[in-house]
Amino acid sequence: MTPIIAFRGVGKRFPGVVALDHVSFDLRQGECHAICGENGAGKSTLMKLLSGVITEHEGEILIRGEPAAFRGTRDAEAAGIAIIHQELNLVEQLSAAANIYLGREQRTPLGLLDDAAMEREAAALLAELECPIDPRTLAGTLRVGDQQLLEIAKALSLSSDVLIMDEPTSALTESEVARLDRVIARLRRRGVTILYISHKMDEVFRLADRITVLRDGRHVKTVDRTATSPREVTGWMVGREIADHGFHGVRSRGPQVLEVRRLTLPWPGHPRGYRLENISLALHAGEILGVAGLMGAGRTELLETIFGAGEPTWTGEIVVDGRPVRFTHPAEACAAGIAMVPEDRKRLGIFPDLDVAANVSLCGLRDAVRGGLVSRNREEALVAGPIRETGVKTSGPHAVITGLSGGNQQKCIIGRWLLAKPRILLLDDPTRGIDVGAKAELYQLIDRLCREGMAVILTSSELPELLSLADRIVVLADGRLTAEFSRAEATEQRILEAATGG
Amino acid sequence: MNPSVIPGRGWRLPRHELALLAATVAVFVVTGWLDPNHTYVTNWAESSEIILRNTALLGIIALGAAVVIIAGGIDLSAGSMVAFSATTCGLILMVCSEPGDKRLVTVGPLGIAAAIGGAMASGLLVGTLHTWLITSIRLPPFIATLATLVGLRSFARAMCLFVTKERWGSESQQINVNTPFFSWLKEHNVVITTGTFLVLAILTWLILSRTVLGRHLYALGGNEQAARLSGVRTDNVKWFAYCFGSLTSALAGIFLMADSSVAQPGTLARGYELNAIAAAVVGGCSLQGGVGTVPGTVLGALFLRLVIDAVSKLIKASADVYEGMIVGIIVALAVTLTQVGRFSRTGRTLFAGGRGLAAIPTIATFAGLLAMMSSGNVEAFQGRTGLVGTAVGMAVLAALAVIRWLEGRRTP
Amino acid sequence: MLPLAFPRRHGFLVLPMLAVAVLCGCSGERSPATGPSKPAATPVSGTPTARRFIFITNGDDPFWDALLSGLKEGEHRYGCAAAGITVSRDVNNASAEGQIERLRQYATQDDVAGIAISVIQADNQSISEEMRKLRAKGVKVITVDGDVNRESFRDARSYYIGTDNTVGGRTLGTATRALLEAKGLKEGGYVQFAGFTDNDNARSRMNGVKEAIGDGYVERDRMADEMDLPRARDNVRNATQNHKDLAALVGIWAYNAPAIADVVTESGTRDRYVVATFDAQDLAIGHMEKGHIDVMVVQNPFEMGVRTVRLLKAMVDDDSPVIEEMFPNATAADGDVHTTGLRVVVPDTSSPVKADLFDPKVVEFMPLQDFKAWLAKYGLTSS
Repeated sequence: MTPIIAFRGVGKRFPGVVALDHVSFDLRQGECHAICGENGAGKSTLMKLLSGVITEHEGEILIRGEPAAFRGTRDAEAAGIAIIHQELNLVEQLSAAANIYLGREQRTPLGLLDDAAMEREAAALLAELECPIDPRTLAGTLRVGDQQLLEIAKALSLSSDVLIMDEPTSALTESEVARLDRVIARLRRRGVTILYISHKMDEVFRLADRITVLRDGRHVKTVDRTATSPREVTGWMVGREIADHGFHGVRSRGPQVLEVRRLTLPWPGHPRGYRLENISLALHAGEILGVAGLMGAGRTELLETIFGAGEPTWTGEIVVDGRPVRFTHPAEACAAGIAMVPEDRKRLGIFPDLDVAANVSLCGLRDAVRGGLVSRNREEALVAGPIRETGVKTSGPHAVITGLSGGNQQKCIIGRWLLAKPRILLLDDPTRGIDVGAKAELYQLIDRLCREGMAVILTSSELPELLSLADRIVVLADGRLTAEFSRAEATEQRILEAATGG
Repeated sequence: MNPSVIPGRGWRLPRHELALLAATVAVFVVTGWLDPNHTYVTNWAESSEIILRNTALLGIIALGAAVVIIAGGIDLSAGSMVAFSATTCGLILMVCSEPGDKRLVTVGPLGIAAAIGGAMASGLLVGTLHTWLITSIRLPPFIATLATLVGLRSFARAMCLFVTKERWGSESQQINVNTPFFSWLKEHNVVITTGTFLVLAILTWLILSRTVLGRHLYALGGNEQAARLSGVRTDNVKWFAYCFGSLTSALAGIFLMADSSVAQPGTLARGYELNAIAAAVVGGCSLQGGVGTVPGTVLGALFLRLVIDAVSKLIKASADVYEGMIVGIIVALAVTLTQVGRFSRTGRTLFAGGRGLAAIPTIATFAGLLAMMSSGNVEAFQGRTGLVGTAVGMAVLAALAVIRWLEGRRTP
Repeated sequence: MLPLAFPRRHGFLVLPMLAVAVLCGCSGERSPATGPSKPAATPVSGTPTARRFIFITNGDDPFWDALLSGLKEGEHRYGCAAAGITVSRDVNNASAEGQIERLRQYATQDDVAGIAISVIQADNQSISEEMRKLRAKGVKVITVDGDVNRESFRDARSYYIGTDNTVGGRTLGTATRALLEAKGLKEGGYVQFAGFTDNDNARSRMNGVKEAIGDGYVERDRMADEMDLPRARDNVRNATQNHKDLAALVGIWAYNAPAIADVVTESGTRDRYVVATFDAQDLAIGHMEKGHIDVMVVQNPFEMGVRTVRLLKAMVDDDSPVIEEMFPNATAADGDVHTTGLRVVVPDTSSPVKADLFDPKVVEFMPLQDFKAWLAKYGLTSS
């Protein structure tokens, strides 16, 4: 039986970089096919080729046996291929129905927009996807899970029979993930072929029929799911087998450095009324406190409030080294020895026009001043330390920071804060979007900093990560602190219950 | 390696500034050659005076514009600030002069100091106002400085009418300034303005490239959120940037007032803000923020002034009619050419699709019309302007069509 | 700016080349006798050195079009072409800096032999300074229509040609008074409108009007519009609203006439005011035909242009007889002032403004018909 899509020697070069190198494999009709690989393995390039975003490539892509010559995304859409991006492509100011029919608006006989018809059909599509929203809702106000289903609805309205999903669950709650699973099952019963990009082994092994692994732009293996194991797949992804990185050995805990008492952050205009409600916790030197919770539970807000970067309307107490504080600006928190590495490094972390040295030196630049002026040599000497400590892989301190991989950029930001010599480090989902190898390096770095006496609060969406790193875990749900566990007590099950039950 | 972003690293000029330097020299040489009077050769002293003086004045304002742009903002009010500062200076001089002295020759040194101090203080005030509007009221910089663009000039005119009426009994739209100090300033204005400009440029270069504040300016412009979250006091940095912008305009206002011996808020420095922004952008500043250098801005100002001067030299009558058009074309070309590299890399083409095809005859028509109009000034072409216009139009059409055809061949 | 691909390496040469191309496209006048490769000052045997006379206006106003016709007539009449002289006009942008910058540019151009300028601000030191510098270089400098402040800056120019603006003002004032009395109004207010109230000719005219109109009537305001036509209109509207006893509207510069006429016609208040204006723009002529303007005191810019060329040529030729003819009292006070004639134009002979109100040696009285005939004779549409 002809595969619905076949890659034959597909390659793609960019100046200085080979993104794909002679990739060949097949996709069978109606299957759910997982594509696994680290960041930089070529997954997104391959998907861009398939969906028509990139049109020039070496080799052939055969769609239902015929070579495809896409000149743009429209051609791919016409061929029945639709892609749900990781960063959603919705127009926030338009309604759900309008987004679904964007570019293919339905008209009345007079030529005007037929909103009623579009909304009706949108409602039907969304119902099929278990999405209970009103098609007239503005897309910008929807939860991420619903936005994603909106994108799927858009793809379905195009009568696509090949659906590419790029890391679809990275921003979903447990119940939304379960809903997505059901939706995928329904789509498969309809005969839709699904290409599922992910590096979460539990998902891959739950959903996929076959798994393809890419590494460094090359095809490594395509196997049936039943014929392999997560450890083996991860091994193919990094080229080596990754041991389960539990950090054994107890880290010694020092005195208390931070205490939060009855912290409440109002949320005007929202039915819940509070972003954070009555949070109390304590942090000691040398320990890692993990903060678990679903999206929207308030993890980022908690960290931002402690750091002085959030809304100043909070009530309660924050006590640093025994002194109550009320930071109005991150600079004050920095002076008090607190550092925060934000969640979205592209938007909130890096300076794209500056080089690596400038990005790293920012917090400690005053130490490089000699005679009133910043001395280049001192600056370079200054950043050499953090770059080495964090293990940033770069061609030199003057490399352009946007050329670094996500993991290395994250290390630069951590390095930036190390220069400020903080005693409390707040890390907001630091390993998001970072490949497995780099993650391991980051874990080791955090562990080492802790052993040297740093107090760390770490939020994460990945429970295994929290379980292996944190000494204690607190769980946030809907702005409230619902549970606290020591490492011994914590299990994924319990954390999930606390995160969803609360 | 991006040396033009982190200034001061090494003495090599980056590509963009080299190109600008080459273009500047080219304009200079071509103008000198084409000019029938060869004024650059025969009257080099006076010609260079004109160029230096105007470049220095534009450059002072452009440095302010560049700092604001690098910090991620924009200041549309520079011209009005110049007028406001000149008017403030003139009015303080008036108040410090003897009653009945309509030429302001009787102002003592204290009065002069007060006037200059007052004018600079007005710059500080306006800069602070801008910062407040932008950080506390959260107005977008475009809107905040648009408001002052319109408001400051109007306010200056009202002030002028009011104070002249109070002091001299009759309203006046302008204040004549014949104070000996300012006359002396005018006599030596080339040396003084150029000197001030150079000192200011060096100072700005030092701040931007070699101080923590300068680094914070680049960080603020590059990613404001990240800067704040890294502990940078972004509001304070913005205050510095906008005050710097307004102070440079205030300084230019004093010089302009001295040069034209009159403070006339209605007409002084109209449109200067756009020339300043153009100079900064041609010199490599990006309106997104976070990118730009002092050498680039200085070269940008010089280049722009040379082009304007060239227009005056080559088009003998009604040169300022053509000045706007030609400066606009040159600025658009200069910025486009810095992005030419992107086209080849991403595979984008200049004349793709139907719209690209339509752009070709449009550009050719404009070129032909422009050639026809400007050739009207040339004796040799009298009576044949239509022919000239058509010829140029056809030539441009052919050239663009060839480019389109080549592009078509590149993508199979 | 990331690592550069091949086209970009040479791309940076395109910028200077394009700049050159654009500029080549605009290179301007070449004098008839020389080409671009020869310096202008080298005479080829038989052809005279190319020289230029430039007229710098104060702003953009149709008044200067009539003057331009005069300049061209003068160029033809006095044999400029044979002497290698071209005459041209440079329209200023209504600012002092504009005139200063232009004067500086001309100072660098060796082929400029004579400059005539209508100074926009009589008291401005910088403008006078630049004029002085030009004179020191040997360029002949005269003022036309707008003079410098004669007390302070007389030495900035050699001579002045223009209307005696005080006389012009008085003439208009006399006519306005006659019109007001004919309407039976012994008292009332009036407003004068000009481009700049500090300009020498504007000031003189307005003072002349005030003098001649007499103390029976009160000058309520002098409104300036800085040569901005919409503002000129707004000034008229505001004046009619702000002053309740307004009886006359006096326009001082050429474009003020149609501005006043338009506003009173559109608001239907024509009959309430006496409309007395200076100069005869073709729009104004149209208005007078329709009865919207009561009297015009018209300068003769055409004649000003002709005499400008005559004087400048005489100055460069060192032609003493001509200069003495134009300036018979050279040593007397204001002996360097040459006045051109004025006309009073009324719609027809039934107007209350009569010829006997004026001194025929100074002012020529004409009904509109005759005036239009004179315009036609010289192919003019305005004056």
